[in-house]
Amino acid sequence: MTLKEVAEILDAEVLTGHEKLEEIEVERVAAADMMSDVLAFSQPRILLITGLNTPQVPRTVSIVDGVGAVIVRKHMVPQTTIDLAKALGIPLLHSKFSMFEACGRLYIRGLKPVESLS
Amino acid sequence: MAEDFITGLKQIIEHLKVEDIMSQDPQTLTPEKTLWHAKEIMRLRKISGVPIVDEGGKLIGIVSIEDIIIALEGGYIRDPIKEHMTRNVVYLQPHDNVETAMEYFERYGFGRFPVLDREKKLVGVVTKEDILRGILKWFSTVYTHDERRNNVLESDYYYRSLITGEPLDKKGADFAFEIDYTDVNLAGVGAAKLKSFLTEKGLPSDTVRRISIATYEAETNVVIHSGSCGVIYCFLSDSSVKVRVEDYGKGIEDVELAMQEGYSTAPDHVRELGFGAGMGLANMKRFSDKMMIVSEVGKGVIVEMLFYFERSGDSGNPKGNQNP
Repeated sequence: MTLKEVAEILDAEVLTGHEKLEEIEVERVAAADMMSDVLAFSQPRILLITGLNTPQVPRTVSIVDGVGAVIVRKHMVPQTTIDLAKALGIPLLHSKFSMFEACGRLYIRGLKPVESLS
Repeated sequence: MAEDFITGLKQIIEHLKVEDIMSQDPQTLTPEKTLWHAKEIMRLRKISGVPIVDEGGKLIGIVSIEDIIIALEGGYIRDPIKEHMTRNVVYLQPHDNVETAMEYFERYGFGRFPVLDREKKLVGVVTKEDILRGILKWFSTVYTHDERRNNVLESDYYYRSLITGEPLDKKGADFAFEIDYTDVNLAGVGAAKLKSFLTEKGLPSDTVRRISIATYEAETNVVIHSGSCGVIYCFLSDSSVKVRVEDYGKGIEDVELAMQEGYSTAPDHVRELGFGAGMGLANMKRFSDKMMIVSEVGKGVIVEMLFYFERSGDSGNPKGNQNP
């Protein structure tokens, strides 16, 4: 599924990376609030779903070679986070769904968890 | 000692810029307001002057306590500011030296100077108190870090590789980055830079990923736990990459305990940022091929990690067990 479809399923606002949404394919998703967990268990090309909204979100996605991040549960995303995502070329989506609902909606549409944990 | 202090002070004054010490977001007024408004602001904020700006934030004048006293005597305190403000304002620029600022205070005898950028927009205000505070802050930082650095320097660890025991030439490092511990949001900047550096060098992407993740954790530890600055060094060879992260901070009391997954001493505000899960050292170990850590309480931490790679066919995942 493309990131554009992810954005539609999650009714998400696209904060950065509009131009790439249709090209980027998503297959696997990791959901976590602890960035160390993401560093420990993620694999390349994952989409991150997180309740954090700090600049550490785009930075972590960039470090683990992820394809993008969906910020859930938060009312707003600080400009510093958006600016950094832009600078690092990381697509950033903002969904009003809870983490549980966001994960559930993507799961039933066929997205998979990180390989080693499946 | 006194001479050291004066030499130190002189160096600081030479390097310190107005932008480092100025108060930002000063209270301003527009020229349509009355002198009475200016007086009230000075009284409530206990300040001796109010910069007057236009709608675009450009400085067009200043009202000082002296202007207010004269207005009270002359009975026109309810007049609009624009009719009585001082229009020829002496100002400083962000890149001026503090030395220049001190000369200005002496020469003009004003209590404060507005700081304007190139477009004449007001970006701050400098008082004598700002200068004193700036110098003290700078001096205390430099002094503590010199002390701590000396403590670390005394040890043999500082000069040798922890893993191989070889002497280290840090000045000859292929990559070096100074960690800024004062802003938690900057944690990871060094790891990101190292990542682009290694990618440019043509290392396999999976190796780059392992190194970036482990360095990110090490860097975050310095920012969260050390309370001190630190440095990331990276040394490249044909088949391996060595990353060494040093700080001069608090140190680790029990390294073995700290290595355990899930053990953390991080405060809540750090957890809110997504760190402090007690995975840091464990992750460094997981993603590196060899790792050594040396620490003493009050003397800082040195972490050294070695990553082997082949030019093709790197697995990229933590070696061995993928699902701990």
